[in-house]
Amino acid sequence: MTATQEDSATQLPIGELAFQARDVKKHYPGVKALDGVDLEGYAGSVLGVCGANGAGKSTFAKLLAGVETLTDGEITITGYPHPVRNAAEAEQAGVLMMHQEPLIIDDFTVGENVWLYKLREGKDIRPWAQKADTNSHETRKVLQGVGLGHLSTRQPARDLGPGQRQMLSLSRAAVTHHKIMILDETTASTSEEHFNDILDLVDREKKAGTSIIFVSHRLNEVFAMCDRIAVLRNGKLVKTLKAADSNPDEITSLMIGQALKALERPTPVQHSPGQVPVLSIRDLHGGTARGVSFDVNAGEIVGLYGLVGSGRSSVARTVTGQRPAAGGSIKLHGQEVRLPSPTAAVAKGIAYLTEDRRLEGFVKDFDNGENMSLVVLPKMARAGVVDTKREKKRIRELISEFQVKGGTKTYTRTLSGGNQQKVVVAKWLETDPDFVVLDEPTKGIDVGARANIYKIIHDVAARGKGVLVVSSEAEELLSLCHRILVMRNGQIVDEFDPEHATTDDLIRTALSHQD
Amino acid sequence: MTSTSLPPVHQYEEDTSRGNAIGTWLKGQYALYILVALLVVATITRGSIFWGQTNLTNLALQMSIIGVVVLAQLIVVLTGGIDISVGSALGLAAVVAAGLFGGPSVLLALVVALVIGGIVGAINGGLVAFRGLEPFIVTLGMLALARGLVYAYGNGIPINPEAASSFASFGQSTLLGVPVLAIIWLAMVGLIAFLLYRTVWGRRVYAIGSNIEAARSSGIPVKTTLWSVYILAGLLVGLGGWMFLARFASGTSTAGNLLELEAIAAVVIGGARLSGGHGKVFGAVVGTIIFAVIANLLSLLNVSTFLQDAFRGALILVAVTLATVQFTRSRSKSTTPATK
Repeated sequence: MTATQEDSATQLPIGELAFQARDVKKHYPGVKALDGVDLEGYAGSVLGVCGANGAGKSTFAKLLAGVETLTDGEITITGYPHPVRNAAEAEQAGVLMMHQEPLIIDDFTVGENVWLYKLREGKDIRPWAQKADTNSHETRKVLQGVGLGHLSTRQPARDLGPGQRQMLSLSRAAVTHHKIMILDETTASTSEEHFNDILDLVDREKKAGTSIIFVSHRLNEVFAMCDRIAVLRNGKLVKTLKAADSNPDEITSLMIGQALKALERPTPVQHSPGQVPVLSIRDLHGGTARGVSFDVNAGEIVGLYGLVGSGRSSVARTVTGQRPAAGGSIKLHGQEVRLPSPTAAVAKGIAYLTEDRRLEGFVKDFDNGENMSLVVLPKMARAGVVDTKREKKRIRELISEFQVKGGTKTYTRTLSGGNQQKVVVAKWLETDPDFVVLDEPTKGIDVGARANIYKIIHDVAARGKGVLVVSSEAEELLSLCHRILVMRNGQIVDEFDPEHATTDDLIRTALSHQD
Repeated sequence: MTSTSLPPVHQYEEDTSRGNAIGTWLKGQYALYILVALLVVATITRGSIFWGQTNLTNLALQMSIIGVVVLAQLIVVLTGGIDISVGSALGLAAVVAAGLFGGPSVLLALVVALVIGGIVGAINGGLVAFRGLEPFIVTLGMLALARGLVYAYGNGIPINPEAASSFASFGQSTLLGVPVLAIIWLAMVGLIAFLLYRTVWGRRVYAIGSNIEAARSSGIPVKTTLWSVYILAGLLVGLGGWMFLARFASGTSTAGNLLELEAIAAVVIGGARLSGGHGKVFGAVVGTIIFAVIANLLSLLNVSTFLQDAFRGALILVAVTLATVQFTRSRSKSTTPATK
């Protein structure tokens, strides 16, 4: 088995056809995720696959990797005798899939995670061989190749941050035999810091003759990496173009089918003197936050910018009761409040849109309706008994108001990231909160849905609520907020007016030398 | 809402035709098919005895007690937990209800049994919810503790309450030909179904079982809800202990022995997922009936008691395997023959 795999996975000469998809269709009950797509990839070249949420780009990646089965059509991989039918065959044919969620075993060391594929069937299972490999010089070189040279191979993987986990997962590209590599939204959980390492990795792979598919909607990254770009919309291929002949604006309009309007500035805050801020925190401690103070006024959108570990998420989680404060005071409408639990925060009219949608945002086994009414359900009930009619009616209204794809009975987990986020946003706004915290509100969401979410945030502020947006994307905050606070080492180090600040200012402030 | 709204190309077809809904529902009810098959076998082999009035009454009595315990197990399993102390707790409730104050009245015994069950549930739930301990370990400890107390309380001798005769007559009484114990069970089925499907509490139970982090983050009082689930389960088990006493008019020290296995198996055969968040009351009821019917049928067929246990075990394996067969079939349905 090992022999076949190595044979069929021999690298192709650069420029050769690596895979060809013909009239690929994938239908789920009620949804045509892909509806007749023709695409091909060439050795030593990067194909970008772009599209809005639910355009079918991730579905295409999954079909190519054999994770999902085709409804119709076929995908042939050069050097493999017949169309690929499942994940094992795809792997034998030389397809390496890098998932959006990095596949890391927490209890294994960094080194063991690099060599994880060796544990698979038909591999060398001598225990001593495995152990020796995982801490070898080669392992360290592999880690250096993805910018993780500073990690010990013996460190447990559970201690790594999300970006590092993704890079560790990517490091396996160096130790497996493959001729097609799929990066499925791989950069979604990595910050800008790791992107250069990914670029280096892709560059090495290109030289080695790998055909790379990069599924993403971060257009700047797509243009930095890809040679050709295929745009999908609603399950159909709109166009394939050369990256050199195109620009992000063109791709954006192809993705959403019409030109994107520039985002409007939020309505300026009506600030009357003597007005009590919605939220006022003083010397807040908790997690990595060490002595944070700021106010959020009614109708104001405040941005919180910082690198990973700067304390921005700690602040967001502390003021919403997700984690207890270690010290300091939180005042809501001038009243000192204690927020020992999310339940307490919800009761006080505080909403928190989590950064980790899959884990905390919605309930896996619930449909859209049940997820939307999760927080507000007690209000739809009399003496604990749910008023089903009222719930159904309200859910239907919400589905159309927030333009969620699918009906009330569709499981939220089957939707695309943007639609999932709309469900989560609807869930929280339905509680009519006074103060809303959004942690990375557009993470893993495409331009079209992004504009929707921004519009919703502006509307919330315009109704006189206080909004705090936490983000690692400087551009997002600049276009969205009234005021931006920058955090570093658990403290707020500077404040910017988006009218006069640039992305560069924010990044520089967030990075600047330790003091 | 904005200029960027997408044209609605993926139309989600909401299927409202009733016939189709029943069809889809039937596809998942493999437990029901097992039950039907069992009933067919029973009719063919021992039809006249099996469907006789005496046997049906006996069958109803048999499944009422276990049925109540299965409901307790179901709500715990829905939260992603497990309660292996149900059998011991039932035994404890039965013997204490029989022995305390000499067992002068049926109603007093009910109160005592509920209190005992409630206390056991509150301890289990408190440790699970507030101390964050593993339900399996907590209830394993409780299993041994409660059973030990049962033996200690009666020194291994069955305890006969003073009002043994009124217990017996209550246990054998019927309403419109249906044993009262079975009516109590069905009332509990209705109560639990109502709580799970129609109340805020029920929705929270499912949310916690499916995704505890999302539930917590959404402001659901996870700890108190979990605690209440275990307390309710304890009360149901206490009720089961009292029903046991009513049926046998005596608190034996082996009361409820190994009942936890049957309860867990019935819940799983009924389609519930042990990791939580998925499972229906109807399935649990069918699971209960399956176990009662198979035990009944095997004794009618004069199969030895030892072999009966083996049959029961085999049935669990068959049912659980069937569940996965169903699952893979419905998945591969969406692929064409060309890619078979």
